[in-house]
Amino acid sequence: LDHGYALHTTAKDCFSSLASQDAQTLTETPREVFYTSENDPAKHAEHHEGRHYSIPLEEVKAVFPHGLPPRFQQQIKTFNEAYVMVRKPALELFTYLKSSNFAHPAVRYVIYGERGTGKTMTLCHVIHFCARQGWLVLHIPDAHLWVKNCRKLMQSSYNKKRLDQPLQASAWLKNFKISNERFLKEIKTHKKYVWGKRESTEEGSPLGEVVEQGLARVRSASDAVGVVLKELRQHCQLGAFRLLVAVDGVNALWGRTTLKKEDRSPVSPEELTLVYNLRKMMMNNW
Amino acid sequence: IPPRTERMAVDQDWSSVYPTAAAFKPSAVPLPIRMGYPVKRGVPPPKEGNLELVKIPNFLHLTPPAIKKHCAALKDFCTEWPSALDSDEKCEQHFPIEIETVDYVSAGTSIRNPKARVVTLKVKLSNLNLDDHARKKLIKLVGERYCEDTDILTITTDRCPLRRQNYDYSIHLLTVLYHESWKTEMWESEKTEEDMEEYIWENSCSQKNALDTLLRIKASENVSNVTEEELLASEVVKNYRNSVIALKNEGETEDNMSQYKESVKKLLNIQ
Repeated sequence: LDHGYALHTTAKDCFSSLASQDAQTLTETPREVFYTSENDPAKHAEHHEGRHYSIPLEEVKAVFPHGLPPRFQQQIKTFNEAYVMVRKPALELFTYLKSSNFAHPAVRYVIYGERGTGKTMTLCHVIHFCARQGWLVLHIPDAHLWVKNCRKLMQSSYNKKRLDQPLQASAWLKNFKISNERFLKEIKTHKKYVWGKRESTEEGSPLGEVVEQGLARVRSASDAVGVVLKELRQHCQLGAFRLLVAVDGVNALWGRTTLKKEDRSPVSPEELTLVYNLRKMMMNNW
Repeated sequence: IPPRTERMAVDQDWSSVYPTAAAFKPSAVPLPIRMGYPVKRGVPPPKEGNLELVKIPNFLHLTPPAIKKHCAALKDFCTEWPSALDSDEKCEQHFPIEIETVDYVSAGTSIRNPKARVVTLKVKLSNLNLDDHARKKLIKLVGERYCEDTDILTITTDRCPLRRQNYDYSIHLLTVLYHESWKTEMWESEKTEEDMEEYIWENSCSQKNALDTLLRIKASENVSNVTEEELLASEVVKNYRNSVIALKNEGETEDNMSQYKESVKKLLNIQ
């Protein structure tokens, strides 16, 4: 809901405080007005509001393989640096997340606003904060990509009525692997999963194997995604780690899809395996 | 011979020059009008021989003194407006039903016009004696004919050949609607959530989810079993209920959203 007034007011505040000081103070260069050297999101406070902080490029590749909007990625390539603005809703979310009680059911937050007000960038800011704190981040870059313009739709082998999306699922699994590598080795599965006649994942094997399976056999990628989500939910109830589920464009999960089945009848979101599994994550019963 | 305009006096009687609707005669209208598209480095053409002025409809036969004469002539056929009904509210209070009919006159061989049989009946629902269920049922029965902003029910009838028959039919329709909306049929008890006009919080998903979450929070804190009725009667839940109802019924405004945010913060006890 802040329409960019934040930047203007901080600039004004700086200059007015300068005017009130008597002694010879050096005039602040624009760099110090608009940028802040505080690079740790955990330490961002209200006086940082409106300023940009930089994320080192290696962290960008590790934390945001698929999260940033395409324009921002172009900007990073142009300027060779990633600067994200500190916004008020992000600071609010940090206070909530820091004081959240993990024994209670999960709290769901909604970032809303008009077009171009910085919702995706706020989400990325929060994800960076959680990644620094060591949470497991489940980031779906844009839920709209899963409900429209999908090339291949296959009938799901797990449940006859549902439809799989192998391409989107495998792309997401690849990026999920890059961002959360160390967790995948630590978390063990609770059940045995059978993928086909010869492939199966034993009980107690690391989650990385499930992800590899999904990437190797693209046909079962959507089922692999479902398995990953289910396992994460179960582990969260045991309290081994903290999980942040960040979905950009959440309305797509409940709206209409532009996809059609082979007999030209429209597909409703529940019939897509990816959307069905993601909706279960959206409930607050973990 | 010079045109008639040069022999006209300033204080002449204009209604005798144009007693009825007639085409524009440049020799009879003394105004120096120019009309049309000017050629390069020219002015709009004058009124003599100007087809543009003849093509357009003119109201030279309806000047204010001419209208006064019409009114004076019609006065003998009119009755006086009752003096007690001097404001709109009094008219509505004593005569809530408004009937609109249109009469058509044309120059031709027959005086009949099939459009003259249309009758429109307008009434405000606040003047009818309806309770909550009857009002909702009437609005559902009537559908598009009811306007919510002005609370007026409009019934247009033209299925009978005569105006009097259409008028009787519209009154009959109003009576039937009124009596039917007061009756309750057996199948009305199967009304589902999609049929509801406004959002009711009791027995909705929102209530179930909220109670569910609160119970789980209490269970995780090992508080002694709080019953559902106690939770429902507590302040935070009532606040939440009001904000959800406001959001659903009135749409999303900034006020509604901030109210919802505050109520959720109090409900879940987050700072």
